[in-house]
Amino acid sequence: MIDIILSTLRLSLPVLLAASGGYFTEKTGIAQISLEAYLLTGAFTAATVSYFSHSVVWGYVIAIVLGVLVSQLFSLLVLKLKANAIVVGTALNLLVMGVIPIISKNIFDSTGSTPSLNIDNAGIMAQIYPYVLTAALLGLSYFLAERSRWGLEIKFAGQNSDVLQSVGVNPTKVRWMAITFSAAMTSVGGAILSTYLASSYSPMMSAGRGFIALAAVIFAGWRLGRAWLVVVFFALTEALQIYIQSLQLSFKIPNELIQSMPYLITLLVLVFYKNKSSAPRFVEY
Amino acid sequence: MKNINFAAILGLIVGLMICSVMVLFFNESPIHFLKVLGGSFYQSKFDMGLTLYYVTVLIFSGLAFSIPFKAGLFNLGTEGQILLTAMIAAVVGQSINVNYFTVVTLTLLIGVISSWIVAAFKAYRNSHEVVVAIMLNFIFAALASYVVLNFYQNPQSQNPESALVSESIQGFLKDPLKVYFDGAPVSSFLMIAVICSLLVWILENKTKWGLEIKAYGENPSAAERAGISSRKIIFLVLSLAGVFSAFVGLTEVLGNTLQYKIGFSAAYGFLGIVVALLAQGHPIGIIFSSFVIAVLHKGASDLDLETMHLTRDYSKVIQAVIILSVGAAVYFESSVKQFFKKLKG
Repeated sequence: MIDIILSTLRLSLPVLLAASGGYFTEKTGIAQISLEAYLLTGAFTAATVSYFSHSVVWGYVIAIVLGVLVSQLFSLLVLKLKANAIVVGTALNLLVMGVIPIISKNIFDSTGSTPSLNIDNAGIMAQIYPYVLTAALLGLSYFLAERSRWGLEIKFAGQNSDVLQSVGVNPTKVRWMAITFSAAMTSVGGAILSTYLASSYSPMMSAGRGFIALAAVIFAGWRLGRAWLVVVFFALTEALQIYIQSLQLSFKIPNELIQSMPYLITLLVLVFYKNKSSAPRFVEY
Repeated sequence: MKNINFAAILGLIVGLMICSVMVLFFNESPIHFLKVLGGSFYQSKFDMGLTLYYVTVLIFSGLAFSIPFKAGLFNLGTEGQILLTAMIAAVVGQSINVNYFTVVTLTLLIGVISSWIVAAFKAYRNSHEVVVAIMLNFIFAALASYVVLNFYQNPQSQNPESALVSESIQGFLKDPLKVYFDGAPVSSFLMIAVICSLLVWILENKTKWGLEIKAYGENPSAAERAGISSRKIIFLVLSLAGVFSAFVGLTEVLGNTLQYKIGFSAAYGFLGIVVALLAQGHPIGIIFSSFVIAVLHKGASDLDLETMHLTRDYSKVIQAVIILSVGAAVYFESSVKQFFKKLKG
């Protein structure tokens, strides 16, 4: 029982960060389907930098920097050049998935994995820091979203951006800041994925977590706290899945069925759930 | 000709330039890179046949993206539907003495029904079609693998793949196109793909449905006031997309490998997005943009052998850069037009 709870928490860390990231962009009225790209960027960068610098801290810092840089490309195209956010998001996912294997071939001469990190994960500090970091970042997102002026501006950007303009706030700037913040948060999620949940980067290790995070945000009706609950619930199904696989059951539950549980559950809930007005109005630039 | 889209062509050229400059980071020569990329498809008849196979699947998946896009829907579900329908074709094809009619009808039917899931969520629950489609992609991929690996695994092979389809539907082995190209993956489905593009052009430009789709895409609420049912449009465009996704599955199973090979699709569903954007949604343009992307895709697969530092993954980079640069070029085209308008006015 304790095992399942602990593994639920462990598994939810990267997705919690990605969902918080996704929330900010989506809430401003920009569709965000490139969370996967930021997760992969963060995971690969953190694993690579930590490997060379022998310091996970540098891994995190550079992961954030690169994630933010990638997101500037998104902002440039969507906000400045008025390209469609879903199209650009798809392109960004493709770009990151294509670039990483080539970079890793050139650095490590591998087909996409980084060498294993020699990090001592046994110490109590090493076990706790990702939780502290995630809790701090979630606290920060909650404060920014619900208690700060910027959080209110984000909500107006998604609901009625004319209001923002009439009080002299540039909605495009609000959206740009939200996109940048999203990328930073999600990259940290990626860094946790490769340096804490695993000890190296392996190809496509985000395994659809970016999409799960996006689904959680939408599912929660674009409310941050609820999105976190949904993420924890997904992580619980994932933890249960690992637990069931470890059992020696007399009957066999197909692996594929267990693996598609989160997606099936998402659809099932959508059946009983009609999109409400809390959805941001997605803007076409 | 006023129909040629200069923004798309400019975007393509700029995108390729960016890609070839980027290879400098990996100590490769841009000239050599372009030679490999552009020179790969006409090396032999087989290479050409393989490229034409890519053209076939890209036309279908391009149409599967572009039709819903006309109605303002983002159909990202093609990839999952390709896997599902290919699995159905391979599984139905196992039964002895099955005929083409049964296999094709059932596969197309499953393609349509699978698209109704997305359509129903969109029409009755107002769920975002992208989210539903992404979930279904995962589910269909898992379902296809499960069915093939657990019930239809080829006993003569170590690879994860189904057994060959029944001999009664192996006729494409004698397909004149395939024979001409030394048994390459290409098949007469290429002709069907081209015909489909023409039919879609007629549908979009000469029929009432086409007008309704466009009107709905331009302004859904105005279209509804004019008596166009939004549910009808959603089901119509996604059903068509389902048919074309199913054709990709048929092209692979009946026209190429005669079996379901796990991982056969090199993200053809997502390549369709690039194809459709490059053609700016024009159904005839899709034939040409499919050819361009097919040549690049074929060329990129040679990067593994022909270059020291690049891999076939660069194909994804090329697609991404082309999507982004076409997007940027469309913007520049419209701002240049506005600039000239201002000069005149």
